[in-house]
This record gives sequence, structure tokens and C-alpha cells, in this order.
Amino acid sequence: MSKRKVQNDHMPSGECVTQLQTILRKRLCHQQLPEKLEGVEAQHKHLLELLKQTAIHGESNSVLIIGPRGAGKTTLLKCVLRHLLEEKEVQKNLLQVHLNGLLQTDDRIALKEITRQLNLENVVGDKVFGSFAENLAFLLEALKKGDRSSSRPVLFVLDEFDLFAHHKNQTLLYNLFDVSQSAQAPIAVVGVTCRLDVLELLEKRVKSRFSHRQIHLLSSLTFAQYLERVRAQLSLLDDFPETKFAQNWNAGIETLCEDKSVKEVLQRHYNSSKDFRSVHMLLMSCLSRVSVAKPAIKPVDLLEASRLCLADAKANMLHGLSILELCLIIAMKHLNDIYEGEPFNLQMVHNEFKKFLQRKSNSMYNFDQPVVMKAFEHLQQLELIRPVDGSSAKTQREYQLMRLMLDHSQIMEALQKYPQCPTDVQQWAMSAFG
Amino acid sequence: MKYFTRVRRVYRWRGEPVSFNRKLKTYDYSSLVIGVDGLPRTTLIITGQHILIEGEDEDSPYVAKVLRLFGDESGKQKKAAVQWFVRVSEVPPNKLKLLGREPHPQEIFYYQGRSCDDEVDVESILRPVQVRRARSGIPSTVSAHPVVILDWFLFKQVTSSTPRTPRHATPSIPSRSLPARQPGNVLEEARIRLHVSSVPESLPCREQEFQDIYSFVESKIIDGTGGCMYISGVPGTGKTATVHEVMRCLQHAADVDEIPPFTFIEINGMKMTDPHQAYVQILQKLTGHKATADHAASLLEKRFSNPAPRKESTVLLVDELDLLWTRKQNVMYNLFDWPTRRHARLVVLTIANTMDLPERIMINRVASRLGLTRMSFQPYSFKQLQQIIMSRLNKVKAFEEDALQLVSRKVAALSGDARRCLDICRRATEICEHSAAERSATGLVGMSHVMEALNEMFSSSYITAVKCASVHEQLFLRAVIAEFRRLGLEEATFQQVFVQHQALCRVEGLQPIGVSEGLAVCQRLGACRLLLLEPSRLGVLQRVRLNVSQDDVLYALKAD
Repeated sequence: MSKRKVQNDHMPSGECVTQLQTILRKRLCHQQLPEKLEGVEAQHKHLLELLKQTAIHGESNSVLIIGPRGAGKTTLLKCVLRHLLEEKEVQKNLLQVHLNGLLQTDDRIALKEITRQLNLENVVGDKVFGSFAENLAFLLEALKKGDRSSSRPVLFVLDEFDLFAHHKNQTLLYNLFDVSQSAQAPIAVVGVTCRLDVLELLEKRVKSRFSHRQIHLLSSLTFAQYLERVRAQLSLLDDFPETKFAQNWNAGIETLCEDKSVKEVLQRHYNSSKDFRSVHMLLMSCLSRVSVAKPAIKPVDLLEASRLCLADAKANMLHGLSILELCLIIAMKHLNDIYEGEPFNLQMVHNEFKKFLQRKSNSMYNFDQPVVMKAFEHLQQLELIRPVDGSSAKTQREYQLMRLMLDHSQIMEALQKYPQCPTDVQQWAMSAFG
Repeated sequence: MKYFTRVRRVYRWRGEPVSFNRKLKTYDYSSLVIGVDGLPRTTLIITGQHILIEGEDEDSPYVAKVLRLFGDESGKQKKAAVQWFVRVSEVPPNKLKLLGREPHPQEIFYYQGRSCDDEVDVESILRPVQVRRARSGIPSTVSAHPVVILDWFLFKQVTSSTPRTPRHATPSIPSRSLPARQPGNVLEEARIRLHVSSVPESLPCREQEFQDIYSFVESKIIDGTGGCMYISGVPGTGKTATVHEVMRCLQHAADVDEIPPFTFIEINGMKMTDPHQAYVQILQKLTGHKATADHAASLLEKRFSNPAPRKESTVLLVDELDLLWTRKQNVMYNLFDWPTRRHARLVVLTIANTMDLPERIMINRVASRLGLTRMSFQPYSFKQLQQIIMSRLNKVKAFEEDALQLVSRKVAALSGDARRCLDICRRATEICEHSAAERSATGLVGMSHVMEALNEMFSSSYITAVKCASVHEQLFLRAVIAEFRRLGLEEATFQQVFVQHQALCRVEGLQPIGVSEGLAVCQRLGACRLLLLEPSRLGVLQRVRLNVSQDDVLYALKAD
């Protein structure tokens, strides 16, 4: 009787694991909004108060949310909107327009999108009628007719705000900020950008109309807080159906975070970048190894995932080259050493290679010029070498000057792991002079 | 004596409910009985009947057709879902023109508008009404009964399934369900007044400019001649606001017949997609006609060249003049040439930011037609900014004296832009409101709030960004500075900086990073523009420059 009981405790069902995977993947991949944002309370309050002014009191405002990539700007905005829309009055009245600088690359497209999202009267179904000039005049007229107390407030969210500043004359920005500073329909313009110098992009007239409110998301996270958040991201909450499984899982995560090698790996990632997008990628790789047979994350998983994430991209590519191509790369490295980074052409590289063949090589064959040319072209296609700008059309291909896009450390690293590399090639690579 | 009192109507459902909506918890009924207090007579309303609903005033009720009658479980809330109709008096005149004929005064049309609720309280129903369909022609006599004629003209258009080009779209933003909340306390009142959009009736500190522009335009209107004026000044100095004030006063004077009547139109170079659209907009605002740019230009040319007997003066305000520049400068040429025609009676006021715009971008003939009537608006001094804020607040005591002085001095030293000043004061008011802990003894906006607002809005966040960067990002910045020192230049390739970075890693005892990781660190710094990078397709060969001064970086990286 006790045997069966023990068996039940130690065999979690596939159902639990699937449930676990769903919950954690939603957190890591699908950008599920967290219940409460940590570390950005002041910014949350500021933004919420600002948007409440517009939605409830009908006061026009403009603000920019600035922060490095992955700092959580869009998440902050979404959390604030979620909080704001809890109030019924706001939910019924607030109109939202979401624009993205990468999608709406031109004022014409942006205007059509605004008209479509606001569902103004020149929209039928999904199609917006009228030329660019007509759309602009129509939208401006619609906003002008509104007033503070009786029109529905409109919230404009401009993602990648700095790209809007590159549109011709900054017409859209001028008009939006002008409406936010006139006694017209109440609007709130929220720009989201990662550039710290975004204000320098604005023209003086647009800058004067912008209210210069900025919300900065610069995280001053310490390593201890970082570790704590990793642990919180991987832990299951109390509402998981199988409490025993959840407890076991959470205990496993606790021990994982105490482990020294795991801390080292996370320290390495923290040193490289403090934002959470990169750590999510790491945790996702670990999560993919969790299965019914192995329902826990072990330190070795994290180490393996870290190794994959931090692997050098170009060094990996070098593993796929032929020996001839590798030899050409080593020849280029020597040329760089001798001539201190001056550009080279195929003839020079071929000469260097021939020198190696004469003096040191036993295993390499003296290939013909066309074969070497083909290898050289393959390297160019892989963008491991790059022509120097200009004069690319006029000179013959053998004499076209190129530069090597690899660093010496990448070549040496690739050579160490290259499968079945001939020893004389390796020695040639490591020697000081050709 | 019998006093006339308002009749009180009583509404009751008749019979049992026909169905129950489980989701909304409402009961549907088939008929409703309206009775009047004290009188035996009752009126019956059934679904499908046309009714009159209480309107703005007693003489013009709304017409609707009952689609459903329903109420809640307690019987207190009684509602009706209706299909609205519009009477002739409610249709805007430009849409009435589309009818193509003279509408009968008692004609009604189907209303497919989206901006009104289809559900009403039954308490607003007055009485039923007869509606007759008119297929052809209008009967010459109309009976005395409350009858309105239903016309299916618009109905057919609306039910067509293919989307038609909306030729009669009206620009409007839908209205709120509840009006916006009014200000509660002194700080909220101050905040509303400090908003840039609450422009006062008369602008302080711009009296002289007002007088000059007023006399110029007034003299031109009274004489019936034309002229040009060029107004310049940095943004936020009150140019457009002053011109608007002048035109308001002149309009008032024209209304009381002190000066001959005139029309005022306004175009803005930034609100147009193309300089030639200026003709289209001017024509539309003058005559209401729509035309293409070339056609509009020729129509305006004709209008301003030919004498017309009862023509009134036109005052045209052109904002953001520099955006009307084209290579041949024909738009600007026309705008300045038309006032010189004898019969045009056109006064053009142009506004731009630079004082020497005519000399810099205009060719000679255009600049000479613009003339020498120029006016320059100087940036505000700190006393003027203080006066502006005081006049805006106008007896609403919300600021401490020295807080106000600090803001005005700071903004005057930088740009003299009134908008900036007002925005900072507004932000300070908000900070004061929301920081319950730091509320000053008097409850007014104090120095601490103003200093916080100034820090927020004048800040440059580069130093904070460097302080909050990760370890390798900071090390990379140090490596960039070290490499610049070594080369004696302000620019280096990533490869060179990376060598320095590796050396610094060894010095600090950190594990050295690979090239890909180094490139990622560099890209992150480039994305927030702490560094300026060449395109990333150049890989390790891309050149790196610093966007922050070296001293600032070193200050930020200093261990505190």
C-alpha cells in the first residue's frame, strides 16, 4: 500500500508538465503582462495620472517614454492602459489610435491608418477614401470641431517615435502636437522610443509645441535583484492546480538559483546586458528541455543554453568551410599582421598561400587559380570578406581590394574546434610570420 | 382658478411579458399603456408603431418607430429600442441639397447615424403618430392629424450592400457619454488655466505689436486697398495669437459697423501636404468650391484680377510661410502679387520664424512684392514671462512668488518661449498635487516642486543612462575613450576598440567576451545613441564615435 502511494508522489503526470510549459511560455514568449511591474512605480504613477487627465478631465497632453531596448516601455504603457481602462467612464469614452514608425513609414500611410482606426466618416469598411491632402484636411477638421467637455478623448500611441521625426516636414507630429496645445478635441500623444537624443530630431516648431515631458526607464537593477527576478519568472504561482507538483518545481528552482555555476552564468549575462529580453531567451532554451522524463531544470541545462546563446556567430560559420577556404582565411590573417590591416586582393592571398605550400605544407594540394578564385568568391558570398568601397566595377576580380571581416580571436577559436584540421595548417595559423 | 401644471404621465406594461432575455436579465413586452394622472383616457403603444419622443422643446419632438419594449425584473426600468427618423428641420442644409427637390415640411427620413443610442426610456414617449409612405409626389393637403410623411429616398441608399464612396462625410469626433469633469480644487483650476490652449482674450506684453498690426490691417480695410506684412519670431512668442486677437477686434468693429465688413481666412503651411494645396484651401475657404490645385490657382487669379462691384476686403493669414517654398517660388509669388492688383483688396499677413527669410530663400521679385512692412516678435524676457503667468492665473493663488520667478528666469535665459514656461508651471502644479507627502505648508506650489519639474523637463539623461548601463557596456565606453586617446582621433573602428575592451576585461578580472557579444553590446549602445555607429553590415569594421562628451562619460563612470 505504501509502495503505490510513493509511486504516485514521484511520477508527475504529463498533464502537469504541459500545464507548466504553457504557463511559463506565456510569460517568456508571449509577453504576458505581469500583475505588477517592479522598479517602475514612479513612472507608472506619472503616466497613469497624465492619461487620466486626458480621459476624465479632457485635458490635452503629450509625453515621451524613453528607455533602452528591452527596458519595458511598451509593457509599462500596456499596464497603465489596463489600469486606466478599469474605470468604466474611461472604457466607454477613450478612443485609441496605435501607430508604429516601422509600419507607417510615411505620413500618407499614417494618416490613412489614423482615419481607419478612428473610424471617421470617410471610412467605409476598411477602405479610406480621399487623397492625402483630403485625409489630412478631414482629420484636422474633425479634431478642430471637438471641444474639451463634449468630445471623446483620443489617445495616440506612436511606437518608434524617432522614425516619425524622419517624415517629410514632420507634418504629422506638428499637427498632433498643435492639436494637443489648442482648444480642440482632447488628445494625448504618447511617443515610445529608445533614442536618448530624440528631442534633437524634432524641428524647432514641433519641439516648441511638445510639452517636453519625458518618462525615462533606466533600470538600476543590482545582481541580487536580477537573480530574484529570474527566480520569480521561473516559479509557479499558488493558483497552479497540482500543489504538490508546484511545490516540487519551486523547490527545484530555489536550489537551481543557489547553485554556484548557475550564478556564474547569470552573472555573465547580467554583465553583458541588464534587460530581460536576453534572459528570456536563455530561460526558454532551458524550458524546452523540460519534459515528463525530466520535469526540472538542472544547472547543466542552463550552462548548455548559455553556451549556445553566447557562441560566436562567425566562428560557427568557419566550421563549415573547406580546408582550402580556411587556408585562404589564415593567409589573409597573416597579410593583415604583416601589412597592418591594409586591404588585400586575391593575388596577394594566393601568393601567401603558395608560400605556405612551398615551405611547410605536406598535406595540402597546390590548387589551380580558378579553384582558388571560386573559394575566394564563396568567402565573399558568406560576407567573411568585403570589398573596399568604390572601384568595385572597374578592376578585374582578381585584383579587387578586400578586407577581412573576422577578428583574429574568432579565427583561432574556430581552428581549435575545426573537425579534422591538418596539423600543419594549424601550426601555420599559430606561427607569427607566414 | 385652474393653474396649468405639467401633465404627469404614468407608464405601465400591458399584459404578461412575452420573453425573457437570460443574458441581460430583461423581459420583453408587447405593449405599453400611457395614462395621465387624474384622467381616465389611456394611450396604447405597441411594437411596430411610430411614436413621438420628447425633444429639445415641446414644439419639435423626435419621430421614431418602436422595435422592442423591454424592462428589468423589478419593473422600475422600462426601455424601448427604437429606429430613429429625422425631420426636415434636423437635417443639415448641405445634405438637404442632395435631395434634389424641395422637401415637404412634415417629411421624415430614416436615420442611420451611429452617434445616438437606439434605446430610450419609455418615460420620454409622448404619443403615437401616423406615418404615411409617399411614393410619388407630395399630397397637396395634409390632414390636421399629427401625420408625417415617410420618404424612402435615403432608406434605399443606405441599405445597398456595396460600399459607396462617402460623398457627404462630415468630419467629427464622436461625443462623450458624460461631460468631462470640472476642476475640483485650486490646483486643478490653476492647471487648466496654465494649459497652453487657454489663450486669454488679450495677450499681455504684446500691446505694441497688437497696435501695429491692428493699425496696418485697419487702414488697409478702410482704404479698400491691399498689402503684405511679414511677421517673424522664434516659436512661442505669441505671433499667431496676436494676429488672431487683432482679427477678433476688427471683426467686432466690423459687426458694429465702425469699419467696412471683411472676410478673414487662414492657412498654415504645415497643415498642408504640398505647397500648391494652398490654392485649394484658399479657394475653399473663400467660396466653398473644391477644385484641383491648378484650377484653383486660375480661379483665384481671375477673382483677384477682375473688378467686382460689391467686393469686401479679404484678410489672409499665412502661417509657417517657409513651407510654401517651391523651386520656382510661384505659390509665394502669387500670394504676394495678388494684393498689388488694384481690384483685389487682399491683405496678406505672413508668419515665419526667421527674420531674414525673404533675403535668404526668396528670389528678388518675390521679396520685393513682400515689401518692407516687417515686424519682429522678440523672445519674452523673464519679467514678461512672469506677467504672462500671473495674468493667466488671475487671482487664483496657486504659486509661491519665488517659485514663479525661478521658472521665468530659467526659461527666459534659455529660449524665451512662453509655451515652455506654461508647461513647466503646469507640471509643477501636478507634482504639487500628487505629492501629498511633500505638500508645503501653504498648499501652494513651492520651490521644491518647481525644481523637480525643471529637472525633469530640462534634463539630459545621458549621464543617468551611462550609470545604469551594464558592466560590459560601461567597459566598452571606457575602451572607446582609451582608443580615442591612443589614436588622437574622435573615431575608431570596432576592432580597435574591441582590443582595448579585452585588455580592460583582463584588468578588471572579468571573463573576456567574444566578438559577437561585443558587437551586441556596441549595438545596444548605438541604439540609444550613446555611441554613433556606422551601419551594422560593416561588422567589425564599423567606425564608432561618441555622442556624449568624454568628460560626461568619465564623470558618470566614476565610482561614487
